[in-house]
Amino acid sequence: MSSAISTFRHVRGFDVARPLSIVTMLLIMLPLVLLPLASIFIFGTSKGLGSFWAALTAPEAIFAMQLSLFTSFWATVFNVVFGLFAAYVLSRYDFFGRTAVIVTISLPTAIPTAVAGFALLLLWGPYGVLGRLLAPQGIQLMFTATAIILANIFVTFPLAFGVIKPVFDTMSRSLEEASATIGATRWQTFWHVTLPSLRGAIVTGALLTFARAVGEFGSTILVSGNLAMRTQTAPLYIFAKFNEGQVEAANAVAIVLALFSFVIFSVLFFARDWLDTE
Amino acid sequence: MQPEKAKEPERPDDAPAPPAAHTSPDSPTPQPAAQAEPQPEVAARVVGVSKSFKGTRVLEDVTFDVAEGESLVLLGASGSGKTTILRIIAGLAEPDTGRVVLHGRDVTELPARERGVGVIFQDYALFPRMTVEKNIGYGLRIRKRPKREIKETTERLLALVRLEEHRRKYPSQLSGGQQQRVAIARTLAYQPQVLLFDEPFGALDAHTRVRLRREIRALLREIKVPALFITHDQEEALELGDRIAVLHAGRLEQIGTPDEVYNRPETEYVATFLGAANLLVGVVSGGAVEIGTATIPAAAETARFREGQSVKLVFRPEDVVLSETGQLPAGARRLTNGVIEEINFVGAYERLTLRLDLIARQPHAGEPPLYNVAITTPERRIGVPIIVTRPKPAANTPRLPLGARVAVGLTAFRVLPNFTLASERGSKTFDVQG
Repeated sequence: MSSAISTFRHVRGFDVARPLSIVTMLLIMLPLVLLPLASIFIFGTSKGLGSFWAALTAPEAIFAMQLSLFTSFWATVFNVVFGLFAAYVLSRYDFFGRTAVIVTISLPTAIPTAVAGFALLLLWGPYGVLGRLLAPQGIQLMFTATAIILANIFVTFPLAFGVIKPVFDTMSRSLEEASATIGATRWQTFWHVTLPSLRGAIVTGALLTFARAVGEFGSTILVSGNLAMRTQTAPLYIFAKFNEGQVEAANAVAIVLALFSFVIFSVLFFARDWLDTE
Repeated sequence: MQPEKAKEPERPDDAPAPPAAHTSPDSPTPQPAAQAEPQPEVAARVVGVSKSFKGTRVLEDVTFDVAEGESLVLLGASGSGKTTILRIIAGLAEPDTGRVVLHGRDVTELPARERGVGVIFQDYALFPRMTVEKNIGYGLRIRKRPKREIKETTERLLALVRLEEHRRKYPSQLSGGQQQRVAIARTLAYQPQVLLFDEPFGALDAHTRVRLRREIRALLREIKVPALFITHDQEEALELGDRIAVLHAGRLEQIGTPDEVYNRPETEYVATFLGAANLLVGVVSGGAVEIGTATIPAAAETARFREGQSVKLVFRPEDVVLSETGQLPAGARRLTNGVIEEINFVGAYERLTLRLDLIARQPHAGEPPLYNVAITTPERRIGVPIIVTRPKPAANTPRLPLGARVAVGLTAFRVLPNFTLASERGSKTFDVQG
């Protein structure tokens, strides 16, 4: 009996489980992930590189991509700086309601992005809780680039925070104490000792935030108004062009976004180790 | 019963009463033994420091000082509060009451960075992103000193700790001992007022520990910076310290030279924590200590006690002499007889477990000095066991067989008050035997 089972599992000198598992995994992954990605490239270049280039360099497309980079950049800057600060405060000081704050900060990860956008509208919109007060002063935040940045910040805040805080938590306190006894001020200690140890986490957090912000759709479409050449980001451009039936235009920008995310993830994959060691 | 005779102090070193362990804040050198030398300048002084954490007293009125160029070892078990003292001196923790004075300047209110104290942390706390050179130069860089001065100082310190060829390495590429030397050099760069070592050898293996301890001792003699060591290892304390302060449950039990603390412990805790000690409960009677049926003459040692007071006779295993003939060498005082119950050979010396017949009657006049009883009698189980160690030469001449009856004498011992109630004494006392 036992020998029958073992022959079933093993052809002599050859492990069946290994190739079988690999092939099964690839068969599942291919139609789900790899084929869709491949199809953008196949479709995008099917009419020649010339038409691809023309679609990509259309003023509307260029504006959309620039706006995406601009808004994502500022959202990333804010989220890394403030995420660092929040992580520092929440890992160094214990106060009443600390856990509640940590949960709240991490909440946007679980909130549907459309809900996030809608919530922002209800706050800052012309009839919103705060927007109502700003409107008479002629300040309109919604349907501008600022709105997109606000939405990006809201949606991506947990990313940088989530990467940086664990590093703070596990960092040996004696490093900072050593720096203090040597004579450094708090700021010198932070700059020379704490920050260098966070280098890997900061880069990772920034890249994650940036990648996520560039691709943000659900909240952006609600708060931006999706106005071409004014508040239309790259994902909104893809959606708009597709709706208008201009599949080539949508596809050209889609290729750029796909390549972009591929680059960011490669960097994340390889640079983290490089940054954390010397 | 000659109280007037018993009160004659014959040996002055036995005089100090237990409260003397807490040194008075006014006297810079607390121990009489230090009075022989010219009084050195005080580098660091801790006066009446108390501290509680969440209602638990961790330090209770601790006072001591570190003389210029001296190394003082704070010895205590974990939880004795020794690390808290270090943190208070460094400015990393605040005392509830008490002062910290460095070279005559009260620094109690100063933040850590303004105290100029060098701390060598247990994990060394080297900055992982800086090379050895950068780590050493850090103190001067943040003080915005000229580049040339930083370079020169770094060079000098690299040479001092013999790490020239490792200057461009990162801490993770160094051995534990090398990391520790970088940590010391890093603090020496800004000329600290005092060096504080927090369990400096805790993270190292036994062999490296012994080697590094000698290296650091030599280094400290060279640089002449006063140092305070924190340790729980008594051997380390004896080897590193010019003086040792024994801390127990937040109180200073005794402070003195290694010789004083080891050979003249003032409390039971000090006796048992520093090395092995046998403890026998007895009463003072006519210039002697009576333990059951045994009596040991101790006129000088019992001088400070009342007649009939309950005391503890404390003696080290190596201070016991044994004799099969009943003839003890000169200088040894006869305690009683005992039966050898166990013999262990521990390399350099022999360790015997001896059961004293403290409940047996004393031999009458004319009887042989060794009153023979078989060791299988119930007496064996009621007798008090003690630990005796003998160096190799003594162990071999003559070899004592298991079960042999021997006369037991002591060459040195201490008589300490026996606090039967916990309330009589601030800190706990243990009935540790051997």
